[in-house]
Amino acid sequence: MADGIEAGLAEVLHATVGIDPARITPASRLREDLGINSLTMIDVACAAEDRFGIRIPDDDLERFVTVADAVAFLRGAGA
Amino acid sequence: MGAHDPRIAIIGGGIGGLTLALALRQRGLAATVYEQATQLTEIGAAVALSANATRELRRLGVLDPVTAASCEPTELIYRDWRTGARVAAHPVRDGGAYQARFGAPYYGIHRADLQQALSGALGGDGLHLGHRLTALDDQGGTMRLTFANGHVAEADLVVGADGVRSMVRQYVTAGEGIVYSGTSALRGIVPTAALPSLPDPHAIQFWMGRDAHLLHYAIGGQGQDVNYFAVMEGPREWSAAGSVAEIGRDEALAAFEGWHPAVTEMVAAVPHHKRWGLFVVRPLMHWHRGRAVLLGDSAHAMVPHHGQGANTTIEDAITLAELLPGVAADAMDGMMATYQHLRRARTRKVQRSSWATNGLLHLPDGPAVAWRDQRMARFPQDFAWIHEHDAMATARAARPVQAAA
Repeated sequence: MADGIEAGLAEVLHATVGIDPARITPASRLREDLGINSLTMIDVACAAEDRFGIRIPDDDLERFVTVADAVAFLRGAGA
Repeated sequence: MGAHDPRIAIIGGGIGGLTLALALRQRGLAATVYEQATQLTEIGAAVALSANATRELRRLGVLDPVTAASCEPTELIYRDWRTGARVAAHPVRDGGAYQARFGAPYYGIHRADLQQALSGALGGDGLHLGHRLTALDDQGGTMRLTFANGHVAEADLVVGADGVRSMVRQYVTAGEGIVYSGTSALRGIVPTAALPSLPDPHAIQFWMGRDAHLLHYAIGGQGQDVNYFAVMEGPREWSAAGSVAEIGRDEALAAFEGWHPAVTEMVAAVPHHKRWGLFVVRPLMHWHRGRAVLLGDSAHAMVPHHGQGANTTIEDAITLAELLPGVAADAMDGMMATYQHLRRARTRKVQRSSWATNGLLHLPDGPAVAWRDQRMARFPQDFAWIHEHDAMATARAARPVQAAA
C-alpha cells in the first residue's frame, strides 16, 4: 500500500472487519478475497467516510470490486 | 431529577419523541416534548412492530397496552400477484415461531393506538402541543428555540424527532434534503369482514407483481381491520409540494388491474384519491451539531419494505436514552458521537436492505421469479439481523468506551 489513502483504508478495514493489513493489496477483491458482505461493507463505508471526510454513496459503494476501486474513488473525491 | 440535569427539548411528539421522553424518564431524566400539531393524532394508518422494538416497549412497561391493541400475524406469506399462489411462507404466531426465535413479539397496530400507549404512560407533563419550531440558535452552549406561536424556550440539548421534513435536520446538516424514491403508495384500513376473497386474513402478506406490490396485515386486538400499503413504481418525478398527491379512483384501480380479487377488493374498498410519494433521507455523514441531534425519520427516513421505519426509530430513542444519563455538559459531544456511531451504520444497513427489496418485490413474471422465490425462502435467516438487534444492550456496552474517551 503506497500512499496515505491506501494505508488509511487498510486501517479502516482492519478496525471494522478485522482484516490483517498484510493481506490487503490493491488487487484484493473486497467480497471474494477479503470476505466483506453487503452488511459489513456499510460498516466499512461509514468508517471510511469518518476517516476521510468524504461521502461514499450506496451506488458507488456497490461498484467497488477491488481495494483499488475504493482508493480511486476516494482519491477522485479529493481525499 | 437533579438540579444539574440537562434541559432536554424533544422536537416532535410522534413515536420517536414519545419513546425517548418515556425512556429518559425511566432513567430519571425529564424532557420537554414540543409537537406542532394541536392534538396527538398520528397519521399514517398502521405500523408493524418487530422484536427489535417490542423488546424495548416491554422494558418501557408499555407492552401490555400495545398487545391489547395489536394483532400478531399468523404467518409471513409472499404471494403471486394474479393467482395468489404462495411463493414463500414463514410462521410468525403459528407455533410461537417468531417469539421463540427473537424473544419478543411481532405486531400490527394502528399508529394512534401505539401513540396512545406511549403518551398514556408518559402523562401530559412536559408535552406541549401546538408548538411548531421555527428557529434554533446556539447561544454558547445553550440552545434557544423559537416557536411559531411566539413561545421561546432554552435547552441544553435539542433532539430532532421531527420527521422526514425535519426542521432540526436543517440546523444540523444544512443542505441535506430528502430524495424521492421513484415509488409511491396507496394505503388504507379495511374491515376484515369486507374482504371475502382474502385468504389468511390474519397473516402479514406481500402480493408481488410487475412494478408493484401490496403489503397488508391485520390490526386491532381481534384483527378486525386490515391495514394495507400498495406500492407502485412511479411517477417518475414527484411534483406535489408535500408527500401526498391526489390520485383518481380509476387510476388507483388501474394500477392493480388484473390482480387477485383480494388485492382489488382492498384497493376498491377505500375511496382513495390520495397517493403518498415515498421519500428517503440519504445516509447522513453527521447526525449532530453543537447541542442538536437527530432521531428517527429526520435522520434516516426509508422505504417501508422491511416495515422498519418506526422500529429503527424506537432503537434510536432507546440508544440515546441509554447514553444520556450522567453525561457532563462538556462530554455531550462525545455522547452524541457515540450515538451517531452506534446508529448510523445500523440504520444505513436497514435503509439499503429495504431498498434492495424493492426490486425483488416488483419483478415481472419470468425467469427471475424462480431466483426471487429461492431468496424469499431464506428471508428469516437473511433478515434475522434486523430483528435480533438489542439496542439497549448495544448502547450499554458502548457506555464504558464513551466514559473513557
